[in-house]
Amino acid sequence: MSNRILSLLSVMALASTAAAEVAYEFVPNFITPPTGKETIGDGHGEIAVDSAGNIYVSVQDKDPALGGLQVYGKDGKFIKTLPLPPSLHGFVIRKLADGEHIYAAVLGEQKVLKCKLDGSVVMEIPTSAFPAEQRDFVSVTKTDETDPKKRIGIASGVRIADFKTELTVKLADGTEKKIAKEKGVSAAGGLKLTNCDVAPNGDIYVVDGYGRSFIFVFSADGKFKSVFGGPDKPLALANAHKIFIDTRFEPARVMICDRGHKRMLHTDLAGNFIGEIATEMRNPSSASFHGDLMCVAEIAGNVSVWDKANKRVADLGTSPQPTNTPGIAPKDWQQGIVTSPHGITFDNDGNILETEWNKWGRVLRWNVKK
Amino acid sequence: MMRLARSILILAAGGAVLAPLCALGHGAEFLSAKLTLLPDAEVLLEVTADYGSNPLIMDEAAALDALADPVRLREHDNLVPLSALSPAKTSQHQNWADYAPAAYLPSSTEGEAHALMTSAWRWHSTEPEIVFEMPKGKLHDVLLWTHDATHPEAPPKWMLLLAGDRSRPIPIQQTPWWRSWMAAAGAGGLILLSAYFVSRNFTLRQRTL
Repeated sequence: MSNRILSLLSVMALASTAAAEVAYEFVPNFITPPTGKETIGDGHGEIAVDSAGNIYVSVQDKDPALGGLQVYGKDGKFIKTLPLPPSLHGFVIRKLADGEHIYAAVLGEQKVLKCKLDGSVVMEIPTSAFPAEQRDFVSVTKTDETDPKKRIGIASGVRIADFKTELTVKLADGTEKKIAKEKGVSAAGGLKLTNCDVAPNGDIYVVDGYGRSFIFVFSADGKFKSVFGGPDKPLALANAHKIFIDTRFEPARVMICDRGHKRMLHTDLAGNFIGEIATEMRNPSSASFHGDLMCVAEIAGNVSVWDKANKRVADLGTSPQPTNTPGIAPKDWQQGIVTSPHGITFDNDGNILETEWNKWGRVLRWNVKK
Repeated sequence: MMRLARSILILAAGGAVLAPLCALGHGAEFLSAKLTLLPDAEVLLEVTADYGSNPLIMDEAAALDALADPVRLREHDNLVPLSALSPAKTSQHQNWADYAPAAYLPSSTEGEAHALMTSAWRWHSTEPEIVFEMPKGKLHDVLLWTHDATHPEAPPKWMLLLAGDRSRPIPIQQTPWWRSWMAAAGAGGLILLSAYFVSRNFTLRQRTL
């Protein structure tokens, strides 16, 4: 009997310890937008914290006073906007041997930037540095002559020549197909870079999350090294929205938010599958690490916290009904309830900051209870 | 646990008044399923896929795939594919306005191309309520929203169904009891009226002769 009581007490003690490790409290109205603005502006990006505790939020607003990379102090008060492209869909701040830098995927320009914390660009990986097999992959369609509203697929493959009157595509079977550029013929495709991160050795990992979910590896000086992932097996990714280098493990791993499949998974740094972290999520969009914990922004309306054993240890701000929209106006925001989480970070003390896919722009904060 | 809680909440919510929706920047990543409840237990379900700038539906072939079996009808313990209810009518267009809630229309802040494909299924329901379900493993989430043709002014209700989710029971438009009586009375009246005119005509002819 006494053994049972002791066991029960041990379990309770463990449970309370675990709970104490992962308890958070919501901080209302944390962010103070730029002077004269009600909100921070059109959000479809990321949030990160530098080693000094300053908070960086990418904003795609057309208003030049808002669009770019906004910087806030530890207290959430606006400091400045760095003059970087507004479409920094994904970025991280990492401190390596060469100092602390911002690494960003520019969705609107299909390139990667490495910048100092003042926004000055120190390196760029241009679109041309990506392998042609993924960069130039297109689907060619043509307007249906009998029904102009319809489009007929002609071919999908790598565009190898593109002249004024003719387009040549290399098909999957290796053959080439020449397509006359008649009226109604168009080709769509190409890269849609959504995020990047840096491995401990300086290699830069970039994901084509709104394209075909390939993950590209570049050396620290921006030279292409390898590619893995994509829509086919073994990883069979679908909308690999963001990737992160998970340094909780030794050696580090690649953590992939395979949003289309509502799962997160690990590969090694060479892209070999290690295992699924979780499935049946609310569409994981972004993540961040602190100690043994990982927080995840789930765009269909949840923030979750996971331990190193892939156990969900907390859910924050869960929307009663799944969402996935940037259209929820400030009048409909509820304190502590997320709309569509898109970017997330721990700060240096383990507090969680989350930015949303929201046309008005929204940042939420939960403080860790110690 | 969270999934269960979410399912309960979906069921409890019974659909919410439509919040502004605009799945842009990367196409609408989920399928928009417009449910129109017609009189006489008729149901029209129009499911639209956006294959322009959509990382989950890259082209026309993927759109056709996505629309082949987007959601199923739960009948007791069975999940019935829509294709078993009626053949699909598929069309391509760029008209979001008729196939998505007004607030779901493209935003001025985005310049992404949209290419839409809609498959429509129309059937008579034998059940007073219908329930849709997303089988597990489905890639495409479905925004199920209702358009009541008999009350077009009513705000649409919506719910986002992820794989494994089930909609609340949706009551369909049954034929009101008095409508069949009215139809019978109308038909009877017509017969009597016809008989009257025939007999009157016959009498007039006899008089003329």
